[in-house]
Amino acid sequence: MSTLQFLGDGFAIAFQWHNLLFAFIGVVIGTAVGVLPGIGPMSGVALLIPVTATITSGMPTSAAAASSIILLAGVYYGAMYGGSTTSILLNTPGESSSVVTTLDGYQMARQGRAGAALAISAIGSFCAGIISLIGLVLLAEPLSNVAINFGPAQYFSLMLLGLAAVSGLAGKSMTKALIMTVFGLLLGTIGIDAVSGIARFTYNQPILFSGLEFLTIAVGLFALGEVFKTVLERDEEDGAIAKINRILPTKQDMKDSTVPIVRGSLLGFFIGVLPGAGATLASFFSYMTEKKFSKRPETFGHGNIAGVAGPESANNAASGGAMIPLLTLGIPGSGTTAILMGALIMYNIQPGPLLFDEHPEVAWGLIASMFIGNLMLLVLNMPLVRVFAKVIQTPKKYLLPIIVAISFFGVYAVQYTTFDLYLLLGCGVVGYLLSKNDYPVAPLVLALVLGPMIENNMRRALTISNGEFSIFFTQPLSLVFLIAAAAWLIIPLLLKMKGKAVIVEEEG
Amino acid sequence: MSKTFDRYASIAFLLIGLLFVIESTKIASSAYGSTVGPKIFPLWLGVILILLSLRLLYETFTYKSESASKEKLQYKKFFIILVSAALYAFLLEKIGYVISTFLFLLVTFQTMERGRIIPTVIIAAVFSLGIYYFFAEFLGGSLPGFPL
Repeated sequence: MSTLQFLGDGFAIAFQWHNLLFAFIGVVIGTAVGVLPGIGPMSGVALLIPVTATITSGMPTSAAAASSIILLAGVYYGAMYGGSTTSILLNTPGESSSVVTTLDGYQMARQGRAGAALAISAIGSFCAGIISLIGLVLLAEPLSNVAINFGPAQYFSLMLLGLAAVSGLAGKSMTKALIMTVFGLLLGTIGIDAVSGIARFTYNQPILFSGLEFLTIAVGLFALGEVFKTVLERDEEDGAIAKINRILPTKQDMKDSTVPIVRGSLLGFFIGVLPGAGATLASFFSYMTEKKFSKRPETFGHGNIAGVAGPESANNAASGGAMIPLLTLGIPGSGTTAILMGALIMYNIQPGPLLFDEHPEVAWGLIASMFIGNLMLLVLNMPLVRVFAKVIQTPKKYLLPIIVAISFFGVYAVQYTTFDLYLLLGCGVVGYLLSKNDYPVAPLVLALVLGPMIENNMRRALTISNGEFSIFFTQPLSLVFLIAAAAWLIIPLLLKMKGKAVIVEEEG
Repeated sequence: MSKTFDRYASIAFLLIGLLFVIESTKIASSAYGSTVGPKIFPLWLGVILILLSLRLLYETFTYKSESASKEKLQYKKFFIILVSAALYAFLLEKIGYVISTFLFLLVTFQTMERGRIIPTVIIAAVFSLGIYYFFAEFLGGSLPGFPL
């Protein structure tokens, strides 16, 4: 069957009424998550996994997986739309990928052009979403055909590359990022070993036999960590929200932002495909590029619309591009995609090259639903931007306890043990302490998801080679991946030694 | 960046690494005599973690003396919320979801900001009853309902 036919089937799944509803709920919650400072896409997705798991519990596995991943991915890219709203209206980014939007977006709002800035970022996000989806459709099939020939040695090296890329770019100190990665891998070894059936580090506690639940740790580290941070460091009350007068951008605005949108989309897409680099880096690079290409670079920072259009397209395109390694290779390139992958694994669906053969309804259903979801977001964001701006004013005193209660409900509804609730609380405290002291938590979650797979592939490769470690270096592709992984760690170090500033990818 | 925290953290990670190394040597080797048993992976990772934490410990000595930024942290609120969350976890199966959630929300709402009892009672009640009935009755999930 051709790609178009698969895509058609995907649309048939995405247009089922409950999947339309799931996509709609996903993008609405995603926009709200993006608007609310304090919850980023990562904690938003983590919080919703248990909720979707219970809603879809009555459906057959693969349909349930398709529906919930449609909702969760909707939260992910919906947050990219919503993040710009607070940047523009309040000068506080809703999540880290719209930090640069504050530079020109807020200035535009002060000049009374808030509506135009919001509209152009919605339009830019939409174009970027569509462009990155077309890229995803075109690349999915060839990439998964390549990946299907990978043996365990290649997979092992490729996953190491994924981990190295995320650790190399996360946070200010690479030592800390690597510690978090190794710690995550170690946590992943707790439980019964899948190959030999031997219990490791369980101390005969039955609760530990199945290992630490990834979901509990992710929700604890991100959502609760963020809540504790806000409780402890209660920021000052937010400033006044800029007024939105006219929503539709003028013809001149459209003309000025067409090229930045296209440029930002392409740039963001390719940055998103790279493991480790994500929406934050994409928006940053796009801003730099626009400034460089602009005829009047001095107007940047004073409300130039290109400074909103480019980065906002780039961060959305990056979130689409990040789906490619996740779906085709089974390697998440960022914290949020690691959480999406954990959600798929919960449904016993393994992302990777076989996904397109074994569960085409999940893969293509998701891709098709992203087209629909992006359209929904455009329709929602233009007229409803005033409503979403109201979400900013949700009082924190109600929001924070409710986030705690939702995490408790979610974890308990999936796990049915109070042990996980205590673990959740513990992870919340640890997550706060770690991220406050610049220990990035995204690599930990990524390592926890990838750990068992890395170990299995390593042991399978070593069994094939009779325990010779040279198998990782003699297979050409595996060697290439290992060299790339090493480069990803060494190059930033060299740059730092030369005194150059290294941009880091932050996720929230 | 806090030097003290990093120092304690590096020691903690060092101990965690040691623990994993010691414990993984106790794991039985693979049953079928292969060299790649279940202990190799955690053993190596433990060693790497030890090396990395030593590196971090070394780095803490090279930090420039940082100006301690004094933030006023709201410890009291935080501890009340943490303790009530722990109690919530403890009581959830004993007194049921609805009552424990209601109490937890009421206490934490009041901790965040005193006063305005009636709206907080209403929100807490709507949330706990709403989630329970939506999830347990409508979706057929299982939650410990009421103490009986």
